[in-house]
Amino acid sequence: MMRNDMSDIVSNIRKVAFCLLGLLVILFIYLSYIQVVESNFLVSHPLNRRNAESTRHVKNGMIVDKNGEKLAYSEKSRDGFKRQYPYGSITANVVGYDSYQYGKTGIESTFNTYLTGMNNPLRHLGAISHLWSDLPGNNVLLTLDAKLQETAYRELGENRGAIVVMVPRTGAILAMVSKPSFNPNTLDSQWESISTASNSPLLNRAVQGLYPPGSIIKVMMADAALTENIVDLKTTINCDGALKVPPDYILAESGLKAHGRVNLEEALAVSCNVTFGSLALRLGGGKMAKTFDRYGFKLPVGEELQEAKLRLPDFNSLGNGDLAQVGIGQGSLLVTPLRMAMLASAFANKGKIIKPNIVTKITDSDGNVIKEFMPEEWITPTSPQLADAIKEMMVTVVNDGTGNGAYLSGTRVAGKTGTAENPHGASHAWFIGFAPADNPEVAIAVIVENAGSGGSIAAPIAGRILAKALH
Amino acid sequence: MTNIRRHERTLLLIAGVIMLNGILAVSLTLGSVDYNIIGTTCGLVISFIFVNALLHKAGHAGDPLLLPLAALLAGIGLTTILRLKPNLFLLQAMWIGIGLLCFLISAFIARRLEQIAKFKYVCGFIGISLLLSAILFGTDIGGNKNWVILGPIRFQPSEFAKMFIVLFLAAYLSERRELLTLATRHYGPLVLPHPRFIAPLIAVWGLGMMMFILQRDMGAALLYFGIAIIMTYMVSGRLSYIVIGLILFLIGSLLCYKLYSHIQTRVDIWLNPWADPNGNAYQIVQSLFAFGSGGIMGSGLTYGFPGMIPEVHTDFIFSAIGEEMGLMVAGAVIIIYIIMVYRAFRAALLSTMPFSILVAGGLSASMALQIFLIIGGVTKFFPLTGITLPFISYGGSSIVANFILLGMLFAISEVRSYDAK
Repeated sequence: MMRNDMSDIVSNIRKVAFCLLGLLVILFIYLSYIQVVESNFLVSHPLNRRNAESTRHVKNGMIVDKNGEKLAYSEKSRDGFKRQYPYGSITANVVGYDSYQYGKTGIESTFNTYLTGMNNPLRHLGAISHLWSDLPGNNVLLTLDAKLQETAYRELGENRGAIVVMVPRTGAILAMVSKPSFNPNTLDSQWESISTASNSPLLNRAVQGLYPPGSIIKVMMADAALTENIVDLKTTINCDGALKVPPDYILAESGLKAHGRVNLEEALAVSCNVTFGSLALRLGGGKMAKTFDRYGFKLPVGEELQEAKLRLPDFNSLGNGDLAQVGIGQGSLLVTPLRMAMLASAFANKGKIIKPNIVTKITDSDGNVIKEFMPEEWITPTSPQLADAIKEMMVTVVNDGTGNGAYLSGTRVAGKTGTAENPHGASHAWFIGFAPADNPEVAIAVIVENAGSGGSIAAPIAGRILAKALH
Repeated sequence: MTNIRRHERTLLLIAGVIMLNGILAVSLTLGSVDYNIIGTTCGLVISFIFVNALLHKAGHAGDPLLLPLAALLAGIGLTTILRLKPNLFLLQAMWIGIGLLCFLISAFIARRLEQIAKFKYVCGFIGISLLLSAILFGTDIGGNKNWVILGPIRFQPSEFAKMFIVLFLAAYLSERRELLTLATRHYGPLVLPHPRFIAPLIAVWGLGMMMFILQRDMGAALLYFGIAIIMTYMVSGRLSYIVIGLILFLIGSLLCYKLYSHIQTRVDIWLNPWADPNGNAYQIVQSLFAFGSGGIMGSGLTYGFPGMIPEVHTDFIFSAIGEEMGLMVAGAVIIIYIIMVYRAFRAALLSTMPFSILVAGGLSASMALQIFLIIGGVTKFFPLTGITLPFISYGGSSIVANFILLGMLFAISEVRSYDAK
């Protein structure tokens, strides 16, 4: 009896021991999970101040433009380093800010691990890494051209808006301006007013601003109509100033102006709403959705640019009136200025869109290249023939149509204007285009918020910036 | 027999070298080498060796792993405390010294463990009075309302009550074990033990609930309740006790959750700390950041930011270890505990008397539970409960109580010739 009883207790204790030791082993596995798998998430969590603290005494690398012009650098100050931005508000939205108190944005944030040198493999060696004393951060070389950026910034004047200038062949962004801006050098002391201002200076409108594209979307509609064989280059459509969409919607030209019988090229030159509204109806919801897919409206353009998600209408449930609206770039369609610069690039680059990029190289403090970024082909929404056909139409827009404000003597400019109605007051003025048309070197998108018509406001600005970029 | 103690001495020397190395590393990075600190550390290492020599002289054949493992943990703890709160270093070193003395006394007294069984009601009385004293006269120090202040002395009775409760339960249960397994009452489909035998269980449950509610001490409540259930299971082998116990505990917890907002917040923090990372969940979120930032190799001693976690030197000391020394040391600490708990259970299994089996089993279980609750708490594996990490956390009560507990396990682990029939 006694013996049995003892062995029972012993076997019970053995079971308890297995369970409890098992719990501790699970704990060990869980701890490994946190410290190995979850580690990256926890290290880079915005509320984790450890990185900011540990890099406070590291000399962060510089951010320089394509010509080696400094856009951001660290300067020794009383406690640690202070970030300096020679171009101030001109590059503030794209370069971002680096504030101990308020965090980081822009390139300062997306390339933070390089700038602070946290990517250095030596840092994973724990205590041993401290043998190499303070490792300085790496430099980030941008595709940006500071002088062009400055021109674009001045061109916007006191208006709200954004400008994106890029090279169609490489996707390199030469200028990215957003207005209003802020002075990153004095951010800490002005944070209260900057962060609460109603015109949101902290918003990088070039990638985060969502706008109706208005008539600039018609270049894509023209390509869709040709691709889907709805019309050919000779087909004409009669415009009597208004398009009646059954049952009760009427899509009107501005001022009810009748354009008469126009072919696609003429319709684009005068930005005929009736033509493009009826093309949208003829394409129907299915083919319209296909077109937006083809042009990558559902694809993200990569994390480093932090683009906002575009808003597309649900084409399946769209009524005819709304479909015609989308055909002229109104309705629930919202896009970013960057996307519209990319749209122009497609026609400049034989139907190919190269992934937009803003960083060319990362170099260490001695100038050795650590990482290089090569242009990457992104999508090919249309054929070289159609792209060239649209390009010629866009040249006509500038030479003889609404885009005349962007005309440059001696250089053929291709473009398209847009005047986007919006619920916030006067129309947004748009222009997209590229030059020289025969061998495109730069593409551009300009939006000036609530400023009026694209032809009179945005086109001249674009023309001057193109001239400066090509000079 | 001498062989065992020689192995122990070698292991103690290794643990001593690790301790000295840690202290030196922190001293050097802090910029100044304080000879008081180095001297004290050397003194501690010598004390450990001295205890080993005394045990050798007394012909003690206890488990040679237990003391070196404790020395290793104490060394990691001291290093971390020197890094976190240098002004508490000498106090902590003193507590370890006192703990070592208590270990010796406890190891020699516990060799005559069977005689303690006679005083089971005294043990039970002491244990319950200690817990009651904390409940009735508990003072809030550093957020924990489980301190008792007696004139110049202040201590945490719940740390000491543990071993008395285990002794009492072991004696009570081992005397009545046949009845506990056999005498049952049938209530419909339910087979319940005679009320007389679950009385102590109910009593401990009641105490646990009181601690839970009055002191907000969820950790101690869980710990005592867990010990009572597990020890009852050890004797009876009936899973129904565990099930009944868990149901009772769940009912209690649910009531508390419904009635008390602070329990609700604790559970909500555990379920989703990211909902309020700067408010109620601040401590646990900071702790997770510490573990994540530490990664595998850690930031290196003194190069991390454990100061961002409130109460880092007591409840959250494990997070500081994880941050500055990485998974390498934090994982090693868990492995050391696993070995220690394993050796403790082994002592229970090798013992021949039901009483000492139960004492060792209960103490091992309490040690494992405590480690699980606190490490699980700071890693968000389990809702956070404020209890200390044995041999590492700062605090006299915790250090001394755990060394006494270790002494008892050490004595039980001795395979005595007259037992080995």
